[in-house]
Amino acid sequence: MQALLEGYVSQELFDEFADERGEPRPHYRALARTVGAISTSDFRHRVEMVNSVLLQRGVTFTVYSDARGTERILPFDLLPRIIPVADWTQIARGIAQRVRALNAFLHDVYHEQRILLEGKVPYDLVYSSAFFNREMLDVRVAGDVYIHVSGIDLIRDVSGRYLVLEDNLRTPSGISYVLENRDVLKRSFPQLFAEYMPLPVDDYPIRLREALRRVAPATTDDPTIAILTPGIYNSAYFEHTLLARRMGVELVEGQDLIVHDNVVYMRTTRGLSRVDVIYRRVDDDYLDPLFFRPDSALGAAGLFNAYRAGNVTIANAVGTGVADDKAVYPYVPAMIRFYLSEEPILDNVPTYDLGDLRQRRHVIEHLHELVVKRATASGGYGMLMGPASTAAERAAFADAIEANPREFIAQPVIQLSSHPTIVEGEILPRRVDLRPFVLYGDEIECPPAALTRVALENGSLVVNSSQGGGSKDTWILGE
Amino acid sequence: MLSRVAESLWWMSRNLERAETLARILDVNYTRTMDRYGSEHALPHWNAVLGIVGMQTQLELIAPSEVASTALHYCTFSSENRTSIVSCVRIARQNALYVRGELSSEVWEAINGLYLSVESSSPRSIARDGPSSFLRHVRDIAQAVGGIIDATISHDEVWDFLQMGRFFERAYLTNRMLRGIDPSASSIESQTLLQMCCASEPFAKVPHAMSETDRVVAFLLLDPAFPRSVRFALREVDASLHRISQTAGGTYSNEAERMLGRLLAILDFAQIGEITNEGLGPFTGRAGDRLDAFSIAVERIYFPRIPVAS
Repeated sequence: MQALLEGYVSQELFDEFADERGEPRPHYRALARTVGAISTSDFRHRVEMVNSVLLQRGVTFTVYSDARGTERILPFDLLPRIIPVADWTQIARGIAQRVRALNAFLHDVYHEQRILLEGKVPYDLVYSSAFFNREMLDVRVAGDVYIHVSGIDLIRDVSGRYLVLEDNLRTPSGISYVLENRDVLKRSFPQLFAEYMPLPVDDYPIRLREALRRVAPATTDDPTIAILTPGIYNSAYFEHTLLARRMGVELVEGQDLIVHDNVVYMRTTRGLSRVDVIYRRVDDDYLDPLFFRPDSALGAAGLFNAYRAGNVTIANAVGTGVADDKAVYPYVPAMIRFYLSEEPILDNVPTYDLGDLRQRRHVIEHLHELVVKRATASGGYGMLMGPASTAAERAAFADAIEANPREFIAQPVIQLSSHPTIVEGEILPRRVDLRPFVLYGDEIECPPAALTRVALENGSLVVNSSQGGGSKDTWILGE
Repeated sequence: MLSRVAESLWWMSRNLERAETLARILDVNYTRTMDRYGSEHALPHWNAVLGIVGMQTQLELIAPSEVASTALHYCTFSSENRTSIVSCVRIARQNALYVRGELSSEVWEAINGLYLSVESSSPRSIARDGPSSFLRHVRDIAQAVGGIIDATISHDEVWDFLQMGRFFERAYLTNRMLRGIDPSASSIESQTLLQMCCASEPFAKVPHAMSETDRVVAFLLLDPAFPRSVRFALREVDASLHRISQTAGGTYSNEAERMLGRLLAILDFAQIGEITNEGLGPFTGRAGDRLDAFSIAVERIYFPRIPVAS
C-alpha cells in the first residue's frame, strides 16, 4: 500500500506543500511524516467522524439558491494549511497597512475629500458607488474608526507571491470556521499537531470584544455590546451565535431593539436596557427603515439618528462599502501612498479599468482568458470565469459591460496556489486562498486567525462556500 | 434578558418536556394494549392518550385493527399534529436555534442531536419493529438535556426560564393525565397512570394507610417530594418565578405570581378526602383552568407581543 502523500503530484502552479522537485517544503516535513504513517482507511474514518461532529454541532451555513434554505456543513479538510512565521510577518504587516489606508480613505471621503480633490481617486467613481452613503458625510464616528473588523482575501500567484484579491470591509464572515476547525482537528486528529505548535486562535472573540469596548461612546465606562443578527435564516447565523457566546455579549435581532430620544435600548424581561455598541451583521440598507430600506424589519427605526448623535457605536461603520467596491479596489495602492507615504507591502491583482475605452475593448476581446466580477457583488455570485465559460455567457457579459462599465471589473486569471486536499479518499492538489481577519479598536491588530478556503473541484478557482468550497484549519507558526 | 429570548427558552423547555412525557405515555399505552385486557379497550385507551395531550383525531372512524398504528403515527411522526413528538422536537430545536447564544454548546448539541436523529428515523421501520426503541431514545435524550441544562448553564435568569417551562409543562401534563385516566376504574388503570408518570417505584414506598385510589391521586397531585407531582412541579415554577422577579416567596409582585400562589395554597392544604368528595374530574378541571390562566399571565408579563411598526 502506498503511503498517503507519497504520490502527491502538484500541478504547474505554486504548491503550498511541495517544492519544484516535488519534495515537501521545510515547514511541511513533519506533517508529511505523520500523515505518511497513517493508513488510508484510518484516514477515511476520521473524515467521516469529523463531518458528523460538525453536523451535530450545527456548524452549518444556509445556501440561498436552495429555496428550502438547506443547512449544510462547510466541507472541512483535515490536512491543515501551514504558514511559516516569515510569511505571516509579511502578511500581517501588509494587511494592517492596507486597513490603515482604507480607514483613512473612508474618513477622507466622508469629510475633507482630499484624495478626490487631488485627483488620486476619481470623484465620479466614489459618488457612483452603490455603497457610498451620503448620509455619512460629516458624521463623526468614535475614534475615527470605520473598519472595526475586516477580512482581506489573499491568493498566491505562480511564483508564490501573496496578492490581495479583495478587501472585505462590511460584514466579513468565516471566523467561526477558524475557531471550530481548530477545535475539531485537535480532537479528531491530535497526532497531526506533533512537532507543531500553531499560534492559538481561541482568543479572537475576546480580542474582538475588547476592540469594540474601546470604540464605545464616551458616555459609559462599562459599555453594553450587542451583536445584531438578521436571524436564524441568515447564512452566517451560526457564526453570530458562536461569537455572542464566546464574547459574552447579547445576540439581538431588530425586533429586540427600540430607539427612544436617540438612545438605543433592547427589550428585556426587566424592561428596557441601554445598548452602547452594536456589532452588526446586517447590511447598511437594512439598519434603519427610516433612512434606508423602508420595508426592512431587520434593523431598528431611529437607529441611524442615535448613531449620528454619537449615542451608539455601529461596527463596522455605516458606509464602509465604498472602500471595498471592486471598482475602487485598483486605487488601494494609491491610497497607501497618499495617506501613509509608504509603498504597498502586498500587491493588488492587476485590474482593468472598464471605464477606459481601450481597456474595455481589450477586455471584451479577451473575455475567454479573464475573470469578470460585478463591482457590488460578493460571495462568488455574478462572476464570469473566462476559461470555463461558454460563448453565450461571454456574449451576455460583453453586452452587460457595454451597457454599464461601472458595474464590472476584469482581472487576469490568477492561478491560485494549490494544497494537498482529501478528495474521495485520495490526496490531490486543490486551489486555496487565505482570509486573515483584522481588528481595529484603538490600534490595528492581526490575530493569528485566518481562514483557508479550498476549491474542491479539480481546476476550480472559486473557493466561496456558497459555491461549493471547503475550508482547512490554518496554522500560523510562531517564532 | 431579552424578552424574545425568554419566550424561546420557555417554549423550548415546554416542548422538550412534552416530547419526553409523550414518549413515556405512548410507550406505556402501546405495551398495555398488547395484552388481552388492553387490546379489548384499545380504542378508549388511545382516546384517553390523545385527550391527555390535547390532540383531536377521529379514531372511531378507523378500522379497529388500525387504531393503534394510526394513533401512534399521529402522536409520533405527524407533521400536521403540532404536539406530535416530531413537532415538539422541531419546535424545541427551532427555539434553541433562536437562543443558541444563551445555551451552552453541550445543551445545543444534545438538542440538535435529538432533532437529527428524530428527523432521520423511519416511520416504516417503527411500524415494523415497534416504537419502543424510538420512544426510549426520545425519552432518554430529552431527560439528558434536562441534566445537561442543570450542569452546564449558570443557574440565573436563563436557567430559571428553562426551569419554569419544564416544570410548568410537567404539572400541566400530570394534571391532564389525572383527568384522562380514572384510577378508581381498576387497579390496572392506576398502575398505568403511575407508569405514565414514571411513578411506580417511588409510589411503592408510600405508606399503605389509605385506599389504593386515594393514595395514587394524593401521590400524583399532592406529594411534596415526588418530582412529577403537580404540587412539586408548581413549587419549582413558583421558586423560579420569584427568583426572576426578585420577590420574596409567599408574596407577589405580578398577576402570574398571585395566581400560582393561590393554586399552590390549595394544593398545599388540600386533603385527599375533600378532593375525592368533590370528584377528581371537577378538581383537576379547575386546576387545569388555573394553569391555563397562569401561562397566559406569564406570556403577558414577560414576553408581551411586540407591536409591529407600520
